[in-house]
Amino acid sequence: MVAASESVLQLNGLGKIRRNEQGKEVPVLRDVDLTLQAGRITVVIGPSGGGKSTLVRLLNRLEEPSSGQVLLNGQDVRHYDPLQLRRQVALVAQKPFVFNGTVLHNLQRPFAFQGHTLPTEDDPQLLELLTLCQLSTDWLQRDARSLSVGQQQRLCLARSLVTGPKVLLLDEPTSALDRPTVTRLADSLREVCYKRRLAMLLVTHDLHLAKIIADQLAYLEDGRILEQGLPAELFARPRSIALQSFLALPAGMQD
Amino acid sequence: MAAKEILELAPLDLFWAYGALLLAAALAWFCRIGQARDLLWGSLRMVLQLLAVGYALRWIFAASHPLPTLLMLLVMCGFALQIMVGRLRHKLPGFYRIVSLSLFAGCGGVTLYFCLLVVVPSPWYEPRYLIPLAGMIIGNSINGACLAVERLVAEMTERKAEIETALCLGASPRSACQEPLRKAFRAALLPTINTMAAMGVVFLPGMMTGQILSGTDPLIAVKYQIAIMCAIVGSVALTSAVLLLQAYRAYFTDAHQLRY
Repeated sequence: MVAASESVLQLNGLGKIRRNEQGKEVPVLRDVDLTLQAGRITVVIGPSGGGKSTLVRLLNRLEEPSSGQVLLNGQDVRHYDPLQLRRQVALVAQKPFVFNGTVLHNLQRPFAFQGHTLPTEDDPQLLELLTLCQLSTDWLQRDARSLSVGQQQRLCLARSLVTGPKVLLLDEPTSALDRPTVTRLADSLREVCYKRRLAMLLVTHDLHLAKIIADQLAYLEDGRILEQGLPAELFARPRSIALQSFLALPAGMQD
Repeated sequence: MAAKEILELAPLDLFWAYGALLLAAALAWFCRIGQARDLLWGSLRMVLQLLAVGYALRWIFAASHPLPTLLMLLVMCGFALQIMVGRLRHKLPGFYRIVSLSLFAGCGGVTLYFCLLVVVPSPWYEPRYLIPLAGMIIGNSINGACLAVERLVAEMTERKAEIETALCLGASPRSACQEPLRKAFRAALLPTINTMAAMGVVFLPGMMTGQILSGTDPLIAVKYQIAIMCAIVGSVALTSAVLLLQAYRAYFTDAHQLRY
């Protein structure tokens, strides 16, 4: 673990109200405080529908919070140019979306979007990143959509990292993966996080993943963070009844 | 014109022509496709609209003044907008501003270009040229523009995940929806391209047929047809491009968020 990390992304009293199908206003997130630090992985666990995906989408401003603020390096994200913000705060969505074309094409897209020269097939940084994300360097010319879901997910991860963001947000990165693949992905994530000193936020209902990867853990239910702290403490001594019962559910039933 | 005078259609001739339409209505009724009433109603509208336009044009031609001509163009644009409202209502946010601007830029621009460089009527407002030219340009352009918007709307809804992925990778809204924009532009141009390819061999276009019927030398009619077709392609492209480049923006907030 890295000691004395500086805070990169700070969430202050973040709230989100959404209109449901009947037109009624429903709070999805209430008063969320959280701090992401460089070189540390923060995991938010909680049941589905508890507001986890919404939380992630507020942080790179895919959506606007109803209350509270998000600070990136001490400055409100609303003061950033959206392009610059999203180049620093990367998000990997729950369902991996790969662009039509080869793996290489997918990895080049962020450079094209951001107006940089495209890396070539033998770019050392590109190859290093592929290895880090456990993707074979022989796959660069493969059709990205022919990869398995797990591989596509790792490709999306590599694609988000290729232009060097400071913050990485991951929404349920393991929802489609089996246990051994989850463990391998967790290894990749740890290495990426520590090597690049990324501030990483991962939201999931996968307790196994949370256990093996979290430096800091928070429990989100019904839009509220009920507990947060070191994972060992939370797993050993959950204070709230909600977290106690969430942890008591048999593996795979937390969804 | 050097050619023979055109045969005048007497009311009785038109009555017989209407017989063909009544035949269609009878068939529709007999086969119970439920369109006999629509067919008759549509034909009635057609007759009334055409008669009204015929009288209006006769008056405008006789007046020979820029004001009635421009008024007529304005009325045509109004109806064009009306037709597009019917097809695209509730689909495109900011509809009126976007569509009128693109119609004005596309159709107005090309018509102006055409009258300054190609046909050059004298005086410039000569309604005999300006009105049919503008009519054909506008008519084809609204079709292209509607196709473009319909396609854009469908693509933007279908490709939400792709667009948000691109935004997350640091793309501007414009490059994030490059693919929908391309598809929409292609959809707008496609019918015009097909029409051009089939022109002359499969069907004789209306304007050319009209000129030939009225006694114009077929070669002159063909030259006009080529020119007008070029104007139509240009206007469809320009109108759709201006429309699309504004329409996609309606899907994003200032903070580059996709509106739902």
